[in-house]
Amino acid sequence: ILTMRTLIALVLLGFIATAMADDWFKECGDLQRLKVKQQWAQAFGQGTGRESFGTSLWRNLFKRAPKATELFKRVNGDNVFSNAFQAHIQRVLGGLDMCISLLDDEGTFNAELSHLASQHADRGIAAENYDIFKAALLDVVPDELGSCFDQDAWSDCFDVISTGIKG
Amino acid sequence: MMLGLFVILALSSGAMAQNCCSAENGREVQRMWQEVWSAEFTGRRIAVARSVFADLFAAHPGVIPLFARVQGDNVDSPEFRSHCVRVVNALDTSIHMLSSSAVLNKQLEHLSEQHIAREGVKAAHFGALAHSFSRVMPQVTNCFNPSSWENCFNRITNGIAAGLP
Repeated sequence: ILTMRTLIALVLLGFIATAMADDWFKECGDLQRLKVKQQWAQAFGQGTGRESFGTSLWRNLFKRAPKATELFKRVNGDNVFSNAFQAHIQRVLGGLDMCISLLDDEGTFNAELSHLASQHADRGIAAENYDIFKAALLDVVPDELGSCFDQDAWSDCFDVISTGIKG
Repeated sequence: MMLGLFVILALSSGAMAQNCCSAENGREVQRMWQEVWSAEFTGRRIAVARSVFADLFAAHPGVIPLFARVQGDNVDSPEFRSHCVRVVNALDTSIHMLSSSAVLNKQLEHLSEQHIAREGVKAAHFGALAHSFSRVMPQVTNCFNPSSWENCFNRITNGIAAGLP
């Protein structure tokens, strides 16, 4: 039979274990967020490389999922080199840039994710398309970073962002 | 008659040369902007955007209600901070596109549609916003060049304000 004192001790231990899990084993933890921010800034570049980076990302994505072009009819998805689609590419990269830059500012990050969730809610995007986007992203970012790419940090932090956008 | 026409043409092309966002202006704006903008430093982005809106709201308190949906009356709320990041991010994308004019035009059409959908937003508001940017940018970037900045900022805001009352 558990005495009251043992019970309290067990409950306390439970709390401590949970707190430790939050701090030490959390996926996309504080340090991973800093690293992804730094690696993204390097990959996204300060200017000249953005078009080629974005074009590679979307060509990679459409090779994985040719039918996904249909979701982008409004912005000329059948020609990734068109002005309309190039502008769309930069809007998406801009959205991703905002999310990544806010990874270490929780309140603003959550407000931005709920804004993006409302923009994507009525577009009928299947959950698997977020996985395809993730696979394409994790395929092209290392082209800019080489072997320093931290795949686990990117994978974990991308999931935090896409979960937020899915709403 | 011919001479008069020639003088008018000369004057108007002179005026255009002064006010249009040339390739050289565009490159200089990109340089001034890159110094304050990087995903690594979120705090910089919010500090710049918040200062611009604080300046705008102080000069034109009447526009604050236009931002009610994002809590414009509390510039420190997460909703307004994320709005700040979106505005300056759209500017970042547009500044980057100064070197690809046709793509920039598509982007400005898109931003224009987004603003036409917001009741109460007027073309003149973008002039006020431009003034606020011109007061904030020299405080944060090195060797600010006002004429390059204003020429290209106007190129962007004229595109967004097209079709607004």
